Amino acid sequence: MAQSPKQPLIETTDLVKKFGAFTALNGVSLKVYPGEVHALLGDNGAGKSTLIKLLSGVFAPTSGTINVEGKTVSFVSPRNATDAGIGTVYQDLALNPLASVTRNFFLGRELTHFGGPFGLMKMNEMHRIAAEEMAKIGINIADPEQAVGTMSGGQRQTLAIARAIYFGAKVLILDEPTSALGQRQQMEVLKTIRRVQKLGNIAIILITHNEIHARLIADRFTFLSLGEVIGSGTSDDLKGDDIKRLMAGGAEIGDLAKELAV
Amino acid sequence: MNAPVASRQESDRHERKSWLKSLFARPEIGPVGVMLLLFGMLGYFSIPAGEFSLNPFAGEGFNALGIRNNLRVISQLTIIALGAGLLIIAGEFDLSIGSMIGFAGACMAMILRWGFSIVIPYLSFEGGLHIEFFTLIHIPDVSPLGAIGITLCFTLFFGWLQGFIVVKSGLPSFIVTLGGLFFLRGLTEVSLRSFNHRADQVKGATTVTEIPDLKNIINLPGHGEIEREAAKALPEADLLALMKDVPADVIASIAERLAYTYQRVADAKTGIIATKGVKPLERALENAIESGNEFMVTTIRDKIANFSIEPVVPKTVTDADVARAYIDSISSARPVADFFGGDILQPLFDWLYFPIDWNTNNFGNQFASGLYSCVMISLILCMVCYVMLSKTQAGNWIYSTGGNITAAKANGVPTNKVKVCLFIFSAFCATVFAACQVFEVNTADAAKGNLKELEAIAAAVIGGIVMTGGFGTVVGIVVGAFIFGLAKEAFFYIPGIDGSFYRVFLGLVIIASALLNENIRKRIMGAI
Ligand SMILES: Nc1ncnc2c1ncn2[C@@H]1O[C@H](COP(=O)(O)OP(=O)(O)O)[C@@H](O)[C@H]1O
Ligand SMILES: [Mg+2]
Repeated sequence: MAQSPKQPLIETTDLVKKFGAFTALNGVSLKVYPGEVHALLGDNGAGKSTLIKLLSGVFAPTSGTINVEGKTVSFVSPRNATDAGIGTVYQDLALNPLASVTRNFFLGRELTHFGGPFGLMKMNEMHRIAAEEMAKIGINIADPEQAVGTMSGGQRQTLAIARAIYFGAKVLILDEPTSALGQRQQMEVLKTIRRVQKLGNIAIILITHNEIHARLIADRFTFLSLGEVIGSGTSDDLKGDDIKRLMAGGAEIGDLAKELAV
Repeated sequence: MNAPVASRQESDRHERKSWLKSLFARPEIGPVGVMLLLFGMLGYFSIPAGEFSLNPFAGEGFNALGIRNNLRVISQLTIIALGAGLLIIAGEFDLSIGSMIGFAGACMAMILRWGFSIVIPYLSFEGGLHIEFFTLIHIPDVSPLGAIGITLCFTLFFGWLQGFIVVKSGLPSFIVTLGGLFFLRGLTEVSLRSFNHRADQVKGATTVTEIPDLKNIINLPGHGEIEREAAKALPEADLLALMKDVPADVIASIAERLAYTYQRVADAKTGIIATKGVKPLERALENAIESGNEFMVTTIRDKIANFSIEPVVPKTVTDADVARAYIDSISSARPVADFFGGDILQPLFDWLYFPIDWNTNNFGNQFASGLYSCVMISLILCMVCYVMLSKTQAGNWIYSTGGNITAAKANGVPTNKVKVCLFIFSAFCATVFAACQVFEVNTADAAKGNLKELEAIAAAVIGGIVMTGGFGTVVGIVVGAFIFGLAKEAFFYIPGIDGSFYRVFLGLVIIASALLNENIRKRIMGAI
């Protein structure tokens, strides 16, 4: 692997996560650099979601360390991870579909006129910021009062991403952002990711099943299989066939053909 | 990568609504329509038979007394519907509201009646094994504020406990608060029975009676604290002595008002006597016309035309009358009791009686002295809840907790705290409801508040609260309470219809509202 001169924003060393007797992750190490899209690929059940849950403070690792900007961190709640600059955009996007764009954008971090949960919200300012931040990475919303439930899947992704960035995410974790979308909207999301990449200071961990998307946008790849890293490298290191092979869990196409021929 | 900005953007596909369209898309529009319909029905049907009026305020439903009574029912329901509704918006239920009302009322009443004690039970072996009680503290005279405060300690604790169990165990709140429903009702009955071994109560009764009329205790110069009625029954000499220190202009204005009232009462009496006198003559005239007796017809017509009676002479205003009226005007020495159980807006209702002559019953007296205080209390609560739910951070947390709890959690919303606080708030509302009742009627009954939890939930549903949470407004809750409160009255006045049809009507309204709410929710979720 070509050593990047930059310091990794986030670096994991030998992360292990066990659920009882089941080892979901068995010693995963990875480095993510600012301004890069790091694709995390692997079969269903490979441990991708588990890995990002460790990074985002949902679970604590059984062993191993997580370093953010060179400092070792240990998260006890998602809040710690957010505070450390790790913004996670979950598959369900953590949005309340019944509420407005603005209310979702500022959910849990509302701007208020005075402290405490009973402080009046600065609604106008919140509307303005939400619209501005979303425009920065790709969409103009007509009406910040629009309920999120009525927005397209791509727009929702953009909302969730814009929100994470606005609230100080240096590392953006996207868990299968394109999986539930149609072709057009998938492209919209990729465009959004590309705009974030161009900002230069944000590292993106992209979990995807889609080889084409990964190839289009990723600068670096890590392949997981059965809880272990089976390959990694920059887009220059990996040739098309490598990616295909590694995505299939490290097996050669010939092996797979043999497996099928019972 | 950055393509030139396309002329057509995604946002253009989102139609901007005109204000009229968005008004009709509001979830409250259906309930508001039903409410207006009920207003019309109540106004129209409560106009006495044979009279025609386009003024809905002419009927019994909206005369001063009608408004006083209807608003009381509606406000009381609003108070608990706010507690229930906010909790439903956050995705949880409270079925213990009704029992909480009974419990809080009994608790408050017992403290007001017999004081507050902390007792330690212990086993005694003297004369056979039995439980004895050692009284640690006994405070015989607890102020209204104290009684409410102590009661709140219990009820808010229960609210907290239910919420705590729900969020910690993950059990459906339906089950946990169903337990609360039985537990609290039982606890209320048990405590009342065991306390009612007292000599001054019916043994085993589940009521508390003869609480002093606290809101009407006044500070009378020379007599100290005294109940208003007792003060008015003082010997005349005492009453006259009392008026010595009252400024002359106050006395003059009271005397003027009394004279006005007596005049109106006398006029009303005259009117009643006149109609009574003319009625037999009119009947005789009909008979005469039927029998064709020309002579009789003309004589009776003459008699009716010349019919007159001596107008009733108004009572003269005595000094004692003035003193009694003055006693009525002294404000309560127990402002807290008055705040919950007294009347408000008396000056307005006086004005409606004196200068503009609308608040007058058939006998010439003032119809209603004011509105029940619970109207003001529910208004205050509504405003607080409205601001909190739609304008503050807490409101956004409530919506998101009910709308998508995992999203709320992922964004750092303390969803458990939100829920527990709302369980506590629901208990608070039930306690406020109980305080209004206890201080108004000065009794408590273990059966108070029965089924109120369902009424509160029904009002919330009618007002557009979605049962699965995340959606609804305070305005909606109030409209729901209005519909619930008005339906009973409106159906009562419809001629030739069983009054219980209001329940049939409400049943249909509840189902229709729930369907409508679900439809709106689905549309917002993008499913339609
Ligand atoms: N909370 C959990 N408890 C037990 N096992 C889990 C838990 N979460 C995930 N797993 C298991 O860990 C493995 C990896 O899951 P996951 O990280 O979700 O895979 P991926 O996202 O790559 O499809 C799966 O076999 C899954 O069943
Ligand atoms: Mg997954």
